[in-house]
This record gives sequence, C-alpha cells and structure tokens, in this order.
Amino acid sequence: MPAPAPKLDQLLAAVARGDETAFAQLYQATSSKLLGVALRILKNREVAEEVLQEAYFKVWERAGDYNSTIAAPVTWMAAIVRNRALDEARRRVIRSTGNENELENVESEDEHPIAALERAEDVERLMRCLDGLEPDRKQMVRLAYLDGMSREALAKRFDRPEGTIKTWLHRSLAQLRGCLEQ
Amino acid sequence: MTELDDIEALAAEYVLGTLSREERLTVAERRAADKALDRAIAAWEKRLSPMIETVTPVAPSPNLYNKIRAQIGLSQHVISLKAREQQLARRASRWRNAFVGVSAIAASAIGILGYREVLHQQMPTQYVAVLQTGADKPAFLLTVDTKTNMSVITAVNAPQRAAKSYEVWLVNDKLPKPKSLGVMKEGDMHVMPMAPGPDTDMFMQASFAVSLEPEGGSPTGTPTGPVLFTGKLIQATP
Repeated sequence: MPAPAPKLDQLLAAVARGDETAFAQLYQATSSKLLGVALRILKNREVAEEVLQEAYFKVWERAGDYNSTIAAPVTWMAAIVRNRALDEARRRVIRSTGNENELENVESEDEHPIAALERAEDVERLMRCLDGLEPDRKQMVRLAYLDGMSREALAKRFDRPEGTIKTWLHRSLAQLRGCLEQ
Repeated sequence: MTELDDIEALAAEYVLGTLSREERLTVAERRAADKALDRAIAAWEKRLSPMIETVTPVAPSPNLYNKIRAQIGLSQHVISLKAREQQLARRASRWRNAFVGVSAIAASAIGILGYREVLHQQMPTQYVAVLQTGADKPAFLLTVDTKTNMSVITAVNAPQRAAKSYEVWLVNDKLPKPKSLGVMKEGDMHVMPMAPGPDTDMFMQASFAVSLEPEGGSPTGTPTGPVLFTGKLIQATP
C-alpha cells in the first residue's frame, strides 16, 4: 500500500513556502474536482480551463493567506474557482437553463478521495439538511450553487417573479443555516 | 428558523451565486473593508461547499498544468529581476545626474533662462527597456518617446527557431494575466501609438517579457513556453 497522501492543508502550507512539488501534488489531488465545478457553471471547457488556470495561479500566489481556522483547503480553493467562474459567467451572460445534458466530457479516471475523506461528515450533514427543503427549493439551491443560475435565470425557469425567487432563496438559506447549526 | 439579516442575506446569495454581475462586483469590493461581511461570506462558503462533492470530476487537459507552471515561472522571473532592474534604474539615475551636471555647464554658456525651453524642444524624454539575459547582447529593445507618444519594440538579436515564435508580453499586477504585445522575429519593429491615460501609466510601470511560443504565438493568450527575456522601462534622457 502506498504511503498516505499528505493532507491538503499540509500541501497548502508547503505551497506558501514556494514548494513546487507540493503545488504539483495539490493540483493532482484537486484539479479534476475543481474543473468539474467550473465546467458546471461555465458550460464551456476552454473557458473553464482558463478560469482554472487563473485560479491555480491565485492559489500559488495567495497560499500564504490561507487560514486553516476559517476554512478547509477545498472550501478555500473551491471559493476561488467558483468566484472566478461566476464572475466570468455573469460577464459572458451565460443563461444557463440547468438542462444541459449534452456536455461530453471525459470523466476523470483518477481517484482523488482525499478531498472527500477529509469532510465526509460535512457532506453528509449538508445533504440531510438539503433533503429537509421542499423539493423545488432544494432544486433551486442546487441549480444556483452548482450550475451558477442567477435569480433572473431561476425566475424564468420556475416561472415566478424575481422578488418571489429572492424570498424563497432567503427562506431556504435560513432553513439550511438553522439545520446545519443543530 | 431565524430570518437572515441584510448582511447574512447578501453573503449567502453571493456564495450561492444568484447575484447579478453588478451586485457581485459591489460585494467583492465591500468585503475588503467590511469584516462582518467577509466573515459571513466565509461562513457561507463553509456551509455550502460540501455540495461540490456531488459534482462529477473532469480531468483537465494534460497541458493545463504546464500553462499554470509557465505563468508562475513568468511571475517569479519578473519578481527575481525586479531587484536587478532597481539597481539598473539607480545606475541610470546616476548617469542622468551626471548628464544634468554637464548640461548645466552648457546651460550657463547659453543663459539659464532659455535653456530649459531649448532642452524641451530638442529633447523628448525617452524611456528604454532592454530585454536580455545576463550580460548577453540585447535581444529586444523597447523604447518610448514621450514627445511623439510612440513606443517601439525592436527585435535586435532574436535567432530564428524552428517552428517557434517570440511573443512579447506586458506584465502588470493590475492585469489579471500577461497581455500580449505581439509575435516578433529577428529584425521586426513594432510601433505602437500611446495615448496619455491610465493605460499609458500602466505601460510605463509594467514589466516586459519575451517567451518562446509555438509558431504564430501562444494558442491560449497567456505565455505557455519558457520566458527568455524580461525587463522594465527606465528613463534614458531627462
């Protein structure tokens, strides 16, 4: 059995010191997942890879700012990727319908379970709390977070005024927060 | 269930991704100074990010890592050269002072009052960046003339490489990524007019780099090949 892979926070700490091997390992462990995240939002592989490139460059430059008491490494990196992807999506006005099934992408053959293993409990808790929402509210939250749908896009999709969508989102998020704090 | 207050609602929707472009820009700016908002955003990132575990991973193109490494290499190269450039700039400044000293003697001969005008009319301020490695011959020369508002890049010593092109880049912290100034070969001369304004200020403060790219230039719009030369503009005449 191979030696256990270093944890992501150790890799990030090494990257902050300019360790290029650690950066390569961090990329190896996280890039497939994070490209998946960017691609769901941007629906365009070329643009998603550009966003990923910029995001990893930022990770390299800002690794010293990472604070393990605030966020898990994957959370911190995913936030960088999602923010860049969402900004790019808004700039390009990608009007996602959330129905794209035609994306033909090679699924990663690598298994990188370390990211998931570090927070299996968090994943399980969030899924349980999402299941506590009304089915259409749960779908709305997922379409927003995973597919990058704006209020405007959700209003079209659910055929409701934006104000109603906003109210529903705020209630759903408050309910989620309450559930997660239990 | 407690309702979300304003900050919580804004942070939650920012992280959820439902805000408009303008709203996103406002939040991104505001969080830098607003600690409460920044903390609320971090908390929502923590709450929602486990959702990404349900996303199917997609393997990036094999070359993507190399591109990221090239971009990092470029920035490091520029950083490591900054010290040397500052040294060069100090040396240039000494030369300039010496030049002013000599000029002052000349000025006393033609009368102090008229001198400055003569100088201004005859001598536009010129800036130059010499892109080279080590003590080799200059490879690319970038000059800026503030009188004509023209900048010129000249490939002085750029040997032809099979199936490769030289690409010149402008690198500035204010830009998200290096900006291409064009593909060049030996003997080429690119002339660029410069209008006064923020772009020109950025240009004057920027570092310049030359990378070796596939024929015709970088396929991605950012440097993908090795960085051969870098340099920064220094003032060459008063």
